[in-house]
Amino acid sequence: MTNTVLHATIAVIAPAIVALLLVIVPTLRHRGVPAAWACVCGSLVSLGAALRVLFERAPEAGADRWTVSWLEAAGRPLAEVGIHVDGVSATMLVVVTLVATCVQVFSLAYMHDESKRSYGRYFALHALFLFSMNVLVVAPNLLQLFMGWELVGLASYLLIGFYFAKPSAARAAVKAFWMTKLADMGFLFGLIVLVVNTGSFEWTSQPTTAVATLATVLLFVAVMGKSAQFPLHVWLPDAMEGPTPVSALLHAATMVAAGVFLIVRADPLFAQAPATQDLMLWVGSITAVFAAFLALVQTDVKKVLAYSTCSQLGYMVAALGAGSAFAGFFHLGTHAFFKALLFLAAGSVIHAVHSNDMKDMGGLARKMPLTAVCFLVGALSLAGVPGFAGFFSKDLVLTTLEGRAGWVPWAMLMASAFLTAFYMGRVFFRVFLGRASTAAEHAHESGPAMSGTLIVLAVPSLLAGFLGGWLAHTARAEYHAHWGLTPIVASTAAVTGLVAAYLAFGRGRESVRFGVLESLDRASVVDRAWAFAYRGVLLRVGAVLGWIDRYVVDGLMNGVGWVTLETGGAVRRLQTGRVRDYAYVVVVGAILLALYGVWR
Amino acid sequence: MTLQHCILLASMLFCIGVYGLLTRRHAIAMLLCIELMLNAANIAFVAFAKFGGGPGQIFVLFALAVTVAEVAVGLALVMALYRRHGDTAIDAAAEAKE
Repeated sequence: MTNTVLHATIAVIAPAIVALLLVIVPTLRHRGVPAAWACVCGSLVSLGAALRVLFERAPEAGADRWTVSWLEAAGRPLAEVGIHVDGVSATMLVVVTLVATCVQVFSLAYMHDESKRSYGRYFALHALFLFSMNVLVVAPNLLQLFMGWELVGLASYLLIGFYFAKPSAARAAVKAFWMTKLADMGFLFGLIVLVVNTGSFEWTSQPTTAVATLATVLLFVAVMGKSAQFPLHVWLPDAMEGPTPVSALLHAATMVAAGVFLIVRADPLFAQAPATQDLMLWVGSITAVFAAFLALVQTDVKKVLAYSTCSQLGYMVAALGAGSAFAGFFHLGTHAFFKALLFLAAGSVIHAVHSNDMKDMGGLARKMPLTAVCFLVGALSLAGVPGFAGFFSKDLVLTTLEGRAGWVPWAMLMASAFLTAFYMGRVFFRVFLGRASTAAEHAHESGPAMSGTLIVLAVPSLLAGFLGGWLAHTARAEYHAHWGLTPIVASTAAVTGLVAAYLAFGRGRESVRFGVLESLDRASVVDRAWAFAYRGVLLRVGAVLGWIDRYVVDGLMNGVGWVTLETGGAVRRLQTGRVRDYAYVVVVGAILLALYGVWR
Repeated sequence: MTLQHCILLASMLFCIGVYGLLTRRHAIAMLLCIELMLNAANIAFVAFAKFGGGPGQIFVLFALAVTVAEVAVGLALVMALYRRHGDTAIDAAAEAKE
């Protein structure tokens, strides 16, 4: 076990110990504040270990592995579990632990009004999530990745349903669980296809093209669920029922990016399946545009950000579909920072005005200047204004799409780049400019834990783009920032979008409306399609199968039982219990046997 | 003495045993009848071994050993029956019906 692997192991184990401690020592959990500090300390240890992993390994070094056999059977282990550290997982480990630590520190203040018990429970779940995510990130093969995948799904379910007494939150949690589990069946079947045909869970295996295509399509179904791709995206906007820091960590920065991370990991496998990559290209592009349109008409500030997350994940998936794992990964990294920043800044605003709705905000720039500046940094980064982190990664995504499939995906993503700038401008102007609503009149800047976290996250949102070259070196990819057609068009789209938003919403009012989009949003077509698929198809099929089970299968069983009982009832009269009767039977039987022997 | 004589003896002994088993109500008497039947079989074994060859005599020894065990178990059952019902008439023990 090398030092690198040891530190990666510490990064995984530290939050696990905290989670276990908080689960098995209820008194600590019920105290609230000590539990929170235990969780933050665990995350800080994890962050420190992750930073050491990143900096002590040479950027050009190969993968560092340490594995143990798992489930020894028939002389051959079923699989291996352990730690796999290379450029991708080391970087991802730092991104995850950094954002998680920031979010937890932010939560110390944000969740302050909760009762002690739920305060402790909240941080126990956070520790569980960080452990699960790290298990996923350092997975040496697809099987361990799947374990982490399911664990983060569980943590997501529990955290969305954190306010479980609220019916809408409980429903949203179940919906998220239901949708992602449906998609996870794809992961399971993909793994089965892979292991049956190649005998291993490694992503470097070399199956035939047909097997690779089938396995990767199945894996991609799981990615569509986890990374909220159209048409499996419907759970993500509802997941905003969870506390805002949870949305920042799980449903913007890290967990939903697990799908993209899976494709980046399994890139050797996906590279063998061009058909799957075409599918990814189109699904990603459609998601990016579709979600960007819906983000335009949301009135809940968190839902704008949720749809924006869908849209940005669409960018990443499209880049991966174009065959550039690095572009997708780069955008994942920068997106994690600026989207976490945006959510936390929105959380700071929500904390101040006690509402998610943009009509209760307005004019907050004067009352909360620091939050406004941080939100602006995040928004400009997301919009892709030159110089900000989001510009570099989005530009790289768009560059890889140049000329693919007749420029159509490129044009779609360019359109959504314009829309992104437009809706982010709308949110910023409506929340921070214009006249304050009554709810916003008494708002004031948040405390040091919250504003400090915003500043910490604003730095990478500004500067992470300049790390592209170094990141490419670590991830063993080619990257050169250059000035050409795509960057010019992209930055024009971003700036035009912001200017258009200023013209439309600069006064901080909803002065321009999109009737068609609003009715599309209200109609929630995809939601209804899923509801129909569930109630109209699945439940009906279930009812038919249930009938068959109850009356045919069970009927057969009951029939056998009934015949046995009746036969027994008839035959029991032979049993008199008197020894002499039995002796008669024996003697008569012996005589009959003898006669049979004689006359045969 | 020919083989026929021996077989005749064995058959008569066996039939007496069967008759006794079916008519007697006393447990010990029934055990004795079973002994008669077993010994009829033993005589047949010995007779066939003497007149026809073969390993029949060995089986008699085995049968005797089994008989001893059977009698031991049988008498133990009779003891238990007597303690339970105060009687060795076999019809008293009809609990096997339920």
